[in-house]
Amino acid sequence: MLELTIALAKGRLADQAIDLLEAAGTDCRVVRAPSRKLILTDEQAGLRFIMAKPADVPTYVDYGAADIGIVGKDTLLEENRSLYEVLNLGFGACRMCVCGPENLAGRLDSIPNKRVATKYPNIARAYFEARRESVEIIRLNGSVELAPLVGLAEVIVDIVESGRTLRENGLAVLDTIASLSARMVVNRVSMKMKADRINPLIQAVRRQLDQAGRTAP
Amino acid sequence: MGQWQFHTPVGVADLLPRECAAKRQVEQRLRDVFCRRGYQEIETPGIEFYDVYAAGSDTVPQEGLFKFFDEQGRILCLRYDGTVPAARVAATLCRDNPVPLRLAYIGNMYRYNEYGGGKQREFGQAGIELMGSDAPEADAEVIATAIEAALAVGIEDLQVSVGQVGFFHGLLAEWQIDGADAALLPQLIDSKQQVALDELAERLGLPDRARSVMRLMSQGLGSETELNELATLVRHPLALAALENLRAVLSILDDVQVRPYISVDLGMLQSLNYYTGVIFKGFTYGLGFPLFSGGRYDGLVRSFGRDLAATGFSMGTSLTLAALQRQGKTIGAWSRPVRLGYLPGQHKKALRTADSLRRDGLAVSCDPVESAAAWLAHNPDGPVLLVDARGEPVWLREVTTDA
Repeated sequence: MLELTIALAKGRLADQAIDLLEAAGTDCRVVRAPSRKLILTDEQAGLRFIMAKPADVPTYVDYGAADIGIVGKDTLLEENRSLYEVLNLGFGACRMCVCGPENLAGRLDSIPNKRVATKYPNIARAYFEARRESVEIIRLNGSVELAPLVGLAEVIVDIVESGRTLRENGLAVLDTIASLSARMVVNRVSMKMKADRINPLIQAVRRQLDQAGRTAP
Repeated sequence: MGQWQFHTPVGVADLLPRECAAKRQVEQRLRDVFCRRGYQEIETPGIEFYDVYAAGSDTVPQEGLFKFFDEQGRILCLRYDGTVPAARVAATLCRDNPVPLRLAYIGNMYRYNEYGGGKQREFGQAGIELMGSDAPEADAEVIATAIEAALAVGIEDLQVSVGQVGFFHGLLAEWQIDGADAALLPQLIDSKQQVALDELAERLGLPDRARSVMRLMSQGLGSETELNELATLVRHPLALAALENLRAVLSILDDVQVRPYISVDLGMLQSLNYYTGVIFKGFTYGLGFPLFSGGRYDGLVRSFGRDLAATGFSMGTSLTLAALQRQGKTIGAWSRPVRLGYLPGQHKKALRTADSLRRDGLAVSCDPVESAAAWLAHNPDGPVLLVDARGEPVWLREVTTDA
């Protein structure tokens, strides 16, 4: 049997992905077993799981090192690779937003050459390019909310879940760029060459999602 | 003093004898396939004016071109693909040649923004262009040639997806979509984003049959039945004509017995500004990218001043090598040259022996005995011949060919 390789984003997303795959009838015992291995193979089922950093999942899938990936839409937007985005898995829901001091609301475009701090330089650049605004992107690796507070940047582009961190730091959402959640992506060649294995998997997960959607309150 | 003299730039690589021989084999087999079908090889310059690509094609992003200037300040670029220069040639130097014009090219291309995963900034491509015919026979000929080319280099596990971009243009007209949504829709279909497609259909207030069409397209068809189903769901003459044209091409491919390799995928919607009709991509195991791709581009040659319908395809020769390697296959046998070593005083005899072997078709190098000895010790295989003190040839290791 042709081996199928699934890349998972290490962390919370991977746990939720495994729950979903299991509910859809995929045997995930090899990933459940506690281990520090980065590649987990279930030879009998012809399945291989790769545990990757979230930002690297689209890369593995694009190059065909993995056939399927489960990863957040934020990473997909940032990496902007040519993949099949076959399913919206629903979990990990949040928003990609432009945030800054409340008094900037509605007059973002009044500042020429804004400085924008973000972990997502490509998303930020694309957003402001579409608005025909020139910006200076400052790439940070975390706690992006700090930047406007210490005068490093006027605004930030970041993920907002509850908005609590923003409020506690005196910042507000100025605009929503996109709604985010976990997605299942498939390599374009694998989709053709391994259709017999991938299509049933997609359909099983889709059925599971539909069912869960119906039973949800 | 620089520090880079030991390195090659990012995205380019040296080809050592074994790989180089394999690449030449691939090129030769492709050349044979093209030649047998009446495609004549041309060689266009490695350097073009930037304007050639700027005028010639909407699909070449300026970021993708390696650019520099000539002494008059004009922008030059390295050859990005084989098709645009071939179109330039067809419209200028071959202006008076009768059509259809069948051209082939084999050479290295340079793309600044493609790098990684088997893709290099410098890579080999071989391809053909059939210019001056808009008939389905021409589309089918090019697809059949692509399949024959892949088989000729040893790629047997082959899947070819065939689409028709005219169908999508018909849909846009039928559903009266334009502006930003007309740019968004093909992206969503092409990347199979079912949920986002449903949302878009909702927002645009499209009828149910439009949603069925989108679903069929994004799922990728495969069978003739689904093609027929699609035909019942659309009304616009452009879309119906595209389906009819696709059917005609498929029927010819059936006649030439390559249909088993082919599945229909009307959801392939990249490079919409460039392609105008039937498009196709060839896939195989071990590569994350298509091995070959091509299609109909009726607008391109016109931008060089000659109105010629055209179709063609290109196949990566470097990609072919990567695919063969990952599939554990080799292309032909690799034969190393015979190392001939001669003892002192036997140079003349040695040369005569070498020449006689060369006449038999062997590759032979000729050196004093020490080099042959060193070769014997250093290399685990490869034929070695000694011309001994009496001037007699003695095989120390016989000629064999290995895979």
